[in-house]
Amino acid sequence: MRRLLPLAALVLVAPLSLSALDWPVGRTVVTATFGEDRTDHFHNGIDIGGGEQDVQPFLPGELVFRYEENSDYTSLPRGVGSFVVVHHADDIETVYCHLKRGTIDPRRTTYGARDRIGVMGDTGYSEGTHLHFIVRDEQSASYVNPLSLLPAIADAQAPVIRRVALAIGDQVRTLAPGAIVPSGRGTVLAEIYDPRADVKFLWPMAPYGVRLSVDGKEIARVSFDALQVVEGRMVLRGTRLASRDVYAADGMMRCGEVDLRPGTSHLLLTVRDFAGNETSRELPFTVRD
Amino acid sequence: MRRKKPASGFFIAVVVIILYFILFPHPLGRELVARPAWTLSLPAAESLPPGGRSPDSPAEAGRPDALQRPDAFQLGDTFGYVGPSGRLVHVEKTLFRVALSEAGFVNYTRIGSDWVLRDPAGERLFSFAGRGYPMASGDGARVFVVKTDLTGLQEVDRSGEVLWNRDFPSMLTSVSIEGGHLLAGLMDGSLELLDRTGAAVFTHATSGSRIPVILAAAVSSDGSRLACLCGIDPQVLTVLGKKGASFAETSRTLLSAEFRKEVRLLFSPDSRYLVLEGDGAAGLADPGSRELSWTPLGGSLTGVSFLGRARAAALLARGESSWRLTIAAPLSSVLCAASFRATAAFLGSVDGQILLGIDGRLLRVDVEAM
Repeated sequence: MRRLLPLAALVLVAPLSLSALDWPVGRTVVTATFGEDRTDHFHNGIDIGGGEQDVQPFLPGELVFRYEENSDYTSLPRGVGSFVVVHHADDIETVYCHLKRGTIDPRRTTYGARDRIGVMGDTGYSEGTHLHFIVRDEQSASYVNPLSLLPAIADAQAPVIRRVALAIGDQVRTLAPGAIVPSGRGTVLAEIYDPRADVKFLWPMAPYGVRLSVDGKEIARVSFDALQVVEGRMVLRGTRLASRDVYAADGMMRCGEVDLRPGTSHLLLTVRDFAGNETSRELPFTVRD
Repeated sequence: MRRKKPASGFFIAVVVIILYFILFPHPLGRELVARPAWTLSLPAAESLPPGGRSPDSPAEAGRPDALQRPDAFQLGDTFGYVGPSGRLVHVEKTLFRVALSEAGFVNYTRIGSDWVLRDPAGERLFSFAGRGYPMASGDGARVFVVKTDLTGLQEVDRSGEVLWNRDFPSMLTSVSIEGGHLLAGLMDGSLELLDRTGAAVFTHATSGSRIPVILAAAVSSDGSRLACLCGIDPQVLTVLGKKGASFAETSRTLLSAEFRKEVRLLFSPDSRYLVLEGDGAAGLADPGSRELSWTPLGGSLTGVSFLGRARAAALLARGESSWRLTIAAPLSSVLCAASFRATAAFLGSVDGQILLGIDGRLLRVDVEAM
């Protein structure tokens, strides 16, 4: 918790300063959220669409590293395309990825609040013009959910729980109210979406938090606050959950493990997005002998 | 009043010096001779079929170097392999990027997850999949997948299976792979040396700069030395030497440069010298003696090739309006330099000699000491 203090201080101080935290672009359409499934890793930032536009730093800062695709030397392939890393006060670093080729000023080493870092682009491993925006807290060596620092954006739509399933061994069955399931140990899976009015496609965006209770007792809680590496594995901070522990191969979220004992049980799955919209699904079911 | 020394003393001294040079002549350094061996025209990238061209006609196959290992080249948007006597083994248009090595290549698109490693003749070796981009070690013995967001690496075996997966606490900025060693430089200013199983056998956090960051990392081929260019304000070249099972800092040189991007840093194949990209210059260092000398290049360093027999390094630099090839002996002077105009240029090696690519042509230059 102590490691979160610099970030908390930044959030508190920023509104008082002239250079408040700001979205890095003018038109903010969040098309992918922090912690989403990327097959073998978590999405470590947010994606912002809204069309080709100037990218500015979310705070004044100093250039740490830049890479211009097809121009600068690199010893490794870079899926983030042309990108810039900016160092801010309190050991916060922000990364601006997939910038349009040729729009990074090679002479600039400091950025004011309104200075242009580059133009939103489509370089690297990208399937459309967008900005992949990363916030790192160097003191805790964590990737932080940018939505926890950026000014709130309007979002009145609650997350959608499209399907809840139970995996027992290799068997995956949809869990409907009144379902009868065998006893044993099972994993609760859920297909979750967090739709937004300004995003015209249904993409399984990670919600901010997922809570699973069985018979009134909370058995699992996942919160997409921050990511950090523990023993060579990127995990949700404060847990040992890597992306493959949180997401099944088909992209469904593993919400928690339950002991299925004979009798009737009551499952409650609650999903919350970053704006505080919440959706719950209650599922009574019977476990047979 | 002091007596004036007679002028004859001066003449005697001059005669003695002349006699010394006649009787004990000091041998002059050997002359370096650069001799063009062959040139080769490459087909235009647009004319190449998908999968490239391997013009290995029976006549070509019968050439003396048909059985010798070809060397890789990458010039503009084409790449391929050429034999020591100028036999073009394979040439192909680069799709997005190519993971190029002595033993084979992966030519890949910008978006994709299934790749094929092909040998220098373009024949399929094995396929593998992942999310990110493929990368091969210089000798082609090891194949990796770099995660799209630069937070992790995977190594795959010849059946395409993932051998290991490692996530890093910060973004990768620089990677150096030599033999069984992989040195990863990170955005947070730390280094991780991984063994063949992907386990970190040594980690090092650089310090002393206002902003820590690794701008270049290099491991020597014998695994005895590590080097990094790190930090902003000040920027530092740090060399670490093997000490027991670990490494200890053996030298730390403050640099006047202020890079904020990855730069070139590599050890010579014999692990003795280190070449470092500077601002319009190349630094040639001897980590053993802790000496560092700078060779002006008139542009940014774009290629380095070590000439074993001549004990020299060839350096290719791109200036504002021209390219410059410089041959320098480590910790000594520039042996020779030549400038030329070109749109694209490449410096590599073939059979231990210089392989120079200039706008659709390859040229082998043999450098020998006479």
